[in-house]
Amino acid sequence: MKTKFGVMLAMAAWLGIGILSAADIGPLPKVEFDAKKAAIGKRLFFDKRLSGDVALSCSSCHDPTKGFADGKPLSDAYPGTEGFRNTPSVINTTFKDAWFHDGRIGTDLNDVTREMITETIWMNMDMRIMQERIKQDPVYIKMFADAGWGEPSNGKVRNAIPEYLKSLTSRNAPFDSGKMSAAAKAGQSIFTGKGGCVKCHNGPLFSDQKLHKLGVPENKEIFQKPLRHVAFIAFTKSMGIDNYMNLRQDPGGAIRNNYKENLGTFMTPSLRELKYTAPYMHNGMLKTLKDVVDFYNKGAGKGSGLKALKLSSKEQSDLVAFLEALSGDPLNGPDHVWSEKIDVNYKPIPDWWKARN
Amino acid sequence: MKAIQYMLVAALALMLFGGTAPSSAFAAGDPDEDAPLAALGKVPDPPDNVMTKEKIELGKLLFFDPRIGGDASISCADCHDPKNGWADPGEVSRGYPGTIHWRNSQSIINSAYLSKLFWAGSSKSLEAQAKSAASGGVAGNGEFDVMEARLALIPEYRKRFRKVFGDEWPLLFNVWRAIAAFERTLVDTNTPYDQFMRGNKNALNAQQKAGFEIFKGKGNCVECHNGPMLTDEKYYNLGVPRHEAWADDGLKQITFRFEIYAKGANEEMYRTVKDDPGMYFRTKEEKDKGKFRTAPLRYTKYTAPYMHNGAFFTLEEVVDFYNAGGGKNEFDKNKTDIIKPLNLSDKEKADLTAFLEALSGKEISMKPPELPKYATLK
Repeated sequence: MKTKFGVMLAMAAWLGIGILSAADIGPLPKVEFDAKKAAIGKRLFFDKRLSGDVALSCSSCHDPTKGFADGKPLSDAYPGTEGFRNTPSVINTTFKDAWFHDGRIGTDLNDVTREMITETIWMNMDMRIMQERIKQDPVYIKMFADAGWGEPSNGKVRNAIPEYLKSLTSRNAPFDSGKMSAAAKAGQSIFTGKGGCVKCHNGPLFSDQKLHKLGVPENKEIFQKPLRHVAFIAFTKSMGIDNYMNLRQDPGGAIRNNYKENLGTFMTPSLRELKYTAPYMHNGMLKTLKDVVDFYNKGAGKGSGLKALKLSSKEQSDLVAFLEALSGDPLNGPDHVWSEKIDVNYKPIPDWWKARN
Repeated sequence: MKAIQYMLVAALALMLFGGTAPSSAFAAGDPDEDAPLAALGKVPDPPDNVMTKEKIELGKLLFFDPRIGGDASISCADCHDPKNGWADPGEVSRGYPGTIHWRNSQSIINSAYLSKLFWAGSSKSLEAQAKSAASGGVAGNGEFDVMEARLALIPEYRKRFRKVFGDEWPLLFNVWRAIAAFERTLVDTNTPYDQFMRGNKNALNAQQKAGFEIFKGKGNCVECHNGPMLTDEKYYNLGVPRHEAWADDGLKQITFRFEIYAKGANEEMYRTVKDDPGMYFRTKEEKDKGKFRTAPLRYTKYTAPYMHNGAFFTLEEVVDFYNAGGGKNEFDKNKTDIIKPLNLSDKEKADLTAFLEALSGKEISMKPPELPKYATLK
């Protein structure tokens, strides 16, 4: 599916040859997934035993009642640290080509899952311990066997969570169902025309999945709150950023390559499900969609190269109405949320001395 | 280097205080000459990490600081608690939150004199031990970049690391050095036994003296428990029984499988092993399964339970174990020939226990220091 989507994008780019139009935005492709494997991923996603000290699950920051984000400007992090970027929603994340605000992983969600579980500032989990925790839980043992996976393992956890993420895709967004208000329709014209939004926010995800510099103001809290600064230093140090102790700017895409060119660039985010995922931008500096539109209307920030749009207030509110029409039904029902209680305690394995480990 | 240093210290101690030679220098199964029994001498002060007042103070802060660890909730002092003999009172150590350790936590007291740390001797210095303990998955679970970054955000540490080590920013490498320097101050060198060995013939009472004779003679304890630290720091399988609680504790079972998996075993071994293979994980030799480094006997009055898995809760139980010629475990084909049934009478056992108690001085207590606070970095 992933490949097909990539091919579609490539075809769209080839057909469009730079002439961007409404045709570049459209519905998301349908994703097939294995229900049994996705169900394992769903339970894992809500299971705190996937973090080192059992304090956090994926859903602690990717909360289904908040569009699978956390509603905070800057994310939480593993106890003893705090985050330095805004939690992105994981709805539609299965369609991405590169992940994180800096796009540092461009392979697949298996690798992203690994990063989130093992990196110290996120879940700080030794996956070898995680594997043995999962093997201690009869519910997982049965689910893995029923899914045709045999014994639970570290590697299959990294397959199960991405399988579940395939189920987190937009549902019934007015844009997709054709039930947009007049204001939203007017907003779409601005989006693809005068606003020029579609230059970067294109494709089914409304993202070109590239790095761009917008000059969003730095979130000073990162450097004022020691626990956020701790996470920032540990991250930039491990990523090989020069002079990380004196840096007071999020290097963004500079951690990938071309340090100078990419300094302060961030991945174009998808515009779907924004209704649930305020505040906005990589560092949560903009509180509402109105603020976001206002930011662009003024020509974005320093170094962006963008010009003021001079949109009227009606045009601005139409654009907001269009953005809101890109959000579908909340994914907070039992199809997407593991609703049964997860017992984080472990029962002993019967007849331990004779049982095979 | 360490071994040479240790031998020098031992030789020096012998020259200074006169040692009591072990009854049998070349007993079966241990062809090496044993170090003589002696009072504990001056603590080793390694030339590459000399002790200074400022370094020791810094090390004390770090020893008690939970920010040296994964989630900033437990410090060295949580598993090496001054109130519990600078160890953990559990059979196996409490371990990192959400986990449990799989071996008994050992006392910090006098650890400065050892050249092999951990039950299977995997660290060769206090510096190396501190680093391993702070980062192990069921111990500190700390990650190096995060721990180092935390220190940079604490002005008091910046000041102290600059003064002690000349660091522009506190270096984790020096955290282990400072902690080791602090640990070298945690010694118990004036036990009744030490006083006795230095010539005060009244320092041991009659029962303890009788116990000492059994220790050196009929009990043959001295075969392995020799030198000033009462350990030869060699590895033996004694037949210490497996930890029975593995059977009814899910959390312990997780740790057990993790350790086997992480330390490296073939699939058949991973599937079937039920006991701690000990030194095997360092050599991967069948003959080393179930072997552990001879435990030092000092300060044991305060560090129950005993053995690598806390199998025994009292010194009496330990004496009974040896009196019976050790026990059985999964790897007891490797059991040492040195231990044999001793046929000690109840009185002799009580005497031996009384002697063991003379190997501990006064309890060393310490109030945790007030820890420096984070502040915004200008």
